[in-house]
Amino acid sequence: MWRKRTTRQEALAGYLFIAPNLIGFLVFQLIPIIAAVVLSFTAWDLINDPKWVGLANYKALLRDPVFKLSLKKTFQFVIINVPLQSALALIIAVLLNQNIRLQNLLRTLFIVPWVSMSVAVGLTWTWIFNSQFGIINQILLKFGMQRIPWLASQDWALPSVIIVNVWQYLGFHIIVFLTGLQLIPREITEAAIVDGASAWTRFWRITIPLIGPILFYDLIVNMIGTFQIFDLPYAMTGGGPGNATRVYNLYLYQKGFQFLRMGEATAMAVILFLLIAVTSGLFFRIIGRRINYDLT
Amino acid sequence: MPKSVQLIGRILLYALVFLILFGYLFPLFWQFSTSLKHLDEVFRGLTLIPAKPMWENYRTAWSNFNVGKYLLNTVIVACAITLGQVISCSMAGYGFARLRFPGRDAIFYLYLGTMMIPSTVTLIPAYIIVLELGLVDSLQGLILPFVFGNALGTFLVRQYLMSIPNDLEDAAKIDGAGYFTIWTRVMLPMSKPALATTAVMTLVAQWNSLVWPLIVIQSDRWKVLSVGLADFRLFRNVQWNTMMAAVVMATLPMIIILFLAQRFFIQGIQFSGMNK
Repeated sequence: MWRKRTTRQEALAGYLFIAPNLIGFLVFQLIPIIAAVVLSFTAWDLINDPKWVGLANYKALLRDPVFKLSLKKTFQFVIINVPLQSALALIIAVLLNQNIRLQNLLRTLFIVPWVSMSVAVGLTWTWIFNSQFGIINQILLKFGMQRIPWLASQDWALPSVIIVNVWQYLGFHIIVFLTGLQLIPREITEAAIVDGASAWTRFWRITIPLIGPILFYDLIVNMIGTFQIFDLPYAMTGGGPGNATRVYNLYLYQKGFQFLRMGEATAMAVILFLLIAVTSGLFFRIIGRRINYDLT
Repeated sequence: MPKSVQLIGRILLYALVFLILFGYLFPLFWQFSTSLKHLDEVFRGLTLIPAKPMWENYRTAWSNFNVGKYLLNTVIVACAITLGQVISCSMAGYGFARLRFPGRDAIFYLYLGTMMIPSTVTLIPAYIIVLELGLVDSLQGLILPFVFGNALGTFLVRQYLMSIPNDLEDAAKIDGAGYFTIWTRVMLPMSKPALATTAVMTLVAQWNSLVWPLIVIQSDRWKVLSVGLADFRLFRNVQWNTMMAAVVMATLPMIIILFLAQRFFIQGIQFSGMNK
């Protein structure tokens, strides 16, 4: 494909064409990544000069009860959100894949919440969840049931935000799965039907193994994204009531930009990166190996 | 299976799909419905369709809650970044896919390697860079870190250009076209689908972006919509109808663009959700 002769002119053109992109990458991606690691060993309030403090930030975090709590809340968020979202998305994708007409329109309608601003989505659901006048509690009352204190209670606040997150990004995962399902050759499904396999058997024996790689990749991407959840809890609860929804990035933001502890905040960012790397690594080891990549 | 059983199955399937879709989109309907209600009606309970649509709520939100001002800032920032990214990713995609230069593949793998690093890691150092450049509390500060393009867009354009044959490029070369001409006359038109996908994905991400504007902007005049709307949470007496009107105005532009460019959104999702 390539011309054999590499001219100096071509190399120069190459560098010039990637230059804007590369400058942006270096200044706002690569240098910040390195700087983050360095900053995490300093104490800095943006006003005085940064001071080298070694591992003090990391030690301070390990002693910080709110840090531990935010870690716990984030893990809870991930553990409930990711499987729930994937399961629901897969069910809906399978339904849509049954030769349903208007496929394009339906796909588009399902991603309307995804293109909506998270803050706007959060506010809409704050109204839906409103304890006194919100539509859900109004309906519960109509049917003679008790009101649920949704965002106002320590116990319900986190599940409420998770529900909204599942709702907002469900369409994204439906599209991903639907694309995977459409790659499954029709002959395989038809052969299974001829052999008398029930829909249930076909789902577990054909669908799941064949979209395995896509399902797996989607779970990883979803997990990495959910570890960094910020917008919805920020807009809906600001972390409260108490610390009920104080997820990791919300606390990191407060550490950095409200308490001006840049060193501790970047240490949190580095820890988050390590956590994500370790969790994805484990995920690859445990599940990734069992997946057959050849079939799709 | 007898025909009639199959038909009933189909009907049930359609009923189920539309029931799910209806339930799924109901929150958006409720948002719109609330935005048109009188405040009395808002608190009176469960009317689905407002007795008399109050379009004034939109005017109130526009002027009293500064939606007009914030919207303008959002439009400027999102459009500037999208335009910059399309140009930059197109140029870099061409460079990486079609030109030979030392270190090309190493640089590209470096891009890929950092793609998985959470954006949280770069947040504070990037803020410090913008602070040092004196761009805190300005629209330039919102635009600069993103305007040079991103790895995903570059990756997408590169893959797209590598998948199409060289014929046109070769013809242009024989005609004596330089690299810049090849880029504007051959590469840009050829990579339109990949660029459209990059554009819509960037536009949505930037329109909805919250964290970066939250830390960079302090004064009210440079606030973008997401930050302005988030301030609603801090108000004591929320007027739900006006708030929902503001919410509709914040989300409608992206929903309209979604319907106009469906294909590119779907491609964008397929690409970001499935590339390995």
